[in-house]
Amino acid sequence: MATVAEHTNVWAKDALLNGCQAVAQAVRLANVDVIAAYPIRPYTEVMDALSKIIADGELDSEFIVADSEHSQFEIVKHASSVGARAFAGSSGTGWMYGFEALVVTATDRLCPLFLVGNRALDDPGAFGVEHNDALALRDMGWLLCWASTAQEALEHVLIGYRLAEDSRVLMPMALAMDGAFLTHSQHMVKMPTQEAVNKFLPPFNLGKRRMHPDNPVSIAPQVNEDWVMELRRQNWEAARRARQIIPDVYKSFNDLFGPRYANPFFDEFMCEDAEVVLVGLGAVAMPARTAVRRLREQGKKVGYVNLRWFRPFPTEQLRATLGRAKGVGVIDRDFAHGSPDNGGIVVHDVRSCLYPLAKRPAVTNFIGGLGGRDMSIDDCIRMFEITFDAAAGKQSDDLVTWIGLRE
Amino acid sequence: MIKRVEVQYRGIFQKNLGKFIGGDIVQIASRMGKVAFSNGRYSDSPERNGIPCKYFAFVSQELSEEELEAECGAKLDIDEADVSVVVDDTMVKGVEPWAWHGVRPVNEKVREKGCLLVVSRHGHDQLLQFIPKKAFDYRLALVEGEASFAGMWVNKDDLTRERVLGAIAAVDPGIISIEAVESYLLDRTKQQHRAEAARAAYNATLRSLRVVRPGEGAEWHHEIPRLPTWREFEAGGVVVPAVPRGFKLGPRGQTRNEGFKRGTSKSHRPVIRFDLCTKCTLCWYDCPDECFDPTDDGLFDVNYEVCVGCHRCAEICPVPECIVMVDELRFGNDDSPWEHHTRDPQGYIKWAEEKKGTDRIHYAHVTGTGVEVRQGKFVPPKQDKGGAAARAKA
Repeated sequence: MATVAEHTNVWAKDALLNGCQAVAQAVRLANVDVIAAYPIRPYTEVMDALSKIIADGELDSEFIVADSEHSQFEIVKHASSVGARAFAGSSGTGWMYGFEALVVTATDRLCPLFLVGNRALDDPGAFGVEHNDALALRDMGWLLCWASTAQEALEHVLIGYRLAEDSRVLMPMALAMDGAFLTHSQHMVKMPTQEAVNKFLPPFNLGKRRMHPDNPVSIAPQVNEDWVMELRRQNWEAARRARQIIPDVYKSFNDLFGPRYANPFFDEFMCEDAEVVLVGLGAVAMPARTAVRRLREQGKKVGYVNLRWFRPFPTEQLRATLGRAKGVGVIDRDFAHGSPDNGGIVVHDVRSCLYPLAKRPAVTNFIGGLGGRDMSIDDCIRMFEITFDAAAGKQSDDLVTWIGLRE
Repeated sequence: MIKRVEVQYRGIFQKNLGKFIGGDIVQIASRMGKVAFSNGRYSDSPERNGIPCKYFAFVSQELSEEELEAECGAKLDIDEADVSVVVDDTMVKGVEPWAWHGVRPVNEKVREKGCLLVVSRHGHDQLLQFIPKKAFDYRLALVEGEASFAGMWVNKDDLTRERVLGAIAAVDPGIISIEAVESYLLDRTKQQHRAEAARAAYNATLRSLRVVRPGEGAEWHHEIPRLPTWREFEAGGVVVPAVPRGFKLGPRGQTRNEGFKRGTSKSHRPVIRFDLCTKCTLCWYDCPDECFDPTDDGLFDVNYEVCVGCHRCAEICPVPECIVMVDELRFGNDDSPWEHHTRDPQGYIKWAEEKKGTDRIHYAHVTGTGVEVRQGKFVPPKQDKGGAAARAKA
């Protein structure tokens, strides 16, 4: 175990940054070669910040403003194929517009990193956070994780590249961040030194697949029925391997920067002896943790799981943590209309994950915070109460509760 | 305990000013060993020119960052403010940030004993003609100065930022102290005059502090809208009934969107000398918001409820002194100026000239005059003629 003293020289000065600017600073520290940009808020502020960083001479990078998200994502896919470390990002419907390019980036096993500043899908035009944009990747062979602070966002750009570019993984990486609450909130952020980042993040090496005049190759020629199953199986293996490699990456990070992440896949907050646990993604962690503290003061055994990695899904780890509880409430800041019980997206993965247990906790689902609607501490306390009822077998037929809706 | 500061600013023109003040508070409070963060009211963006917007800063001495964020970080607006800073005094007439919000009182969020801090050249009593009454005591403080306007990517470095920081320290030292403001400004900029500007504003603001008693202020006549429940509107998205087509000559003769008038976006309004008008139609034709209503005598009335004060009519009007932009705080209502003119032509001219005073805003180009007027200082005709002759020769 490294001592604190060993970690003091890996941090430079603190800086006032919002979530988008923190990501831009991480892109600078990762010495990204190619950046493709196309504006849509809340992502836009990342490209603003990056263009300034480049103009100030702090990063030597190709900065290409594309004609659309689709072109933007194709540019970074191709940049990745020549061995360049590449970055792009988007939000909401812009993200969806580029989806064909996103899908092929995964099937080509290329590994740019993307920021998804979560935004509601139009119509109606709305800017607030909803997770459906990023969650649309869940079946596409991507790495997908959520940051819940600006500091985490900065660190997960570095962690993301390290994982995505690992020769055993080679998958594109999407870092999601709640629009407004994280992207546009200014905080004091600890900046790692360039030397420390260089130690943690080796240069990108695509190996034999790198397209280059010295290594002329053709990528992704047309194949037919006799190839696709085997290609899919390779992707499947990569996603499985990524799940095993993630803890190693976090161990390297913790060794270098200090013990920042006890559990790589999710933060457990007072879950050890919890009877009832809420599970959520992103910024709802803020009010949820305070709700846990308040209920603990009243002697109620509650906990919160802040799910960081959604793909690969931390099946074993989550099963172990949630399997101890009597009731689990899953907060979906997304929707999956017409799905089983008409719940959100996340609840189905959590319920599947728990199903093999002989003694399963009751699982209930909350849909809330859509389109950036506030979720308050009181809302979280109410969700705990409903989950206690579910655990006691008092669950109504409706397994989904909408939170913060004007009824 | 949490201290909440809101900065009410004009969209685009003061966007960077609002954000800088929020960020400065975080950095100063952090230097004082407190926990702080700052964000904007997200739904304000994408901002439009002049639309009333908000930036927030949250500061706590005791709470952890996580607890502070839990209370303040996942909310779109605040419930109450310890200090509400208004960086353009014309917003005291009310703020309508976006459709569905309605026109809201500028002091809506100021809590009991809290402070409304206004950058203004006007006095307390003049501002209180417009600021609505509250049910409890609060404080009103002034930072003497003009509204600092810049653009999308820039901030005007006229020390408003530093002076507001000094003033916040004066009205609530529990947020930031004047010593911390000074040391921060010195460390960050190495420029003594910035710290001095903050200190001077601190002293002046202390002198300007005044308690506003319940019942002091204006009657509020705008309704706060109630949003429908999910059962109360048609399925298929938000379908807004179209504004019915309607046109007749005269004031308010055109039908307009009653749901979002945007008149609170303006800091100046056009005052029209109808007696000078040549009926050239340019104001009516060029107004981006169709604020001009044709009248049966060939003139054009202006509807101040929907005018956003963009200056376009004053820029394009070819007749000197016919359309002049005037400080919005000189006006108490949005009544039709054409009706006033028609009712009492001489009285109207006297009224209009009184309102106009002697200050004039100069525009880069005035269509139809052939004369280039430089923005800023008045250029005497003689010198300008020489300039024009010299240019013609060249």
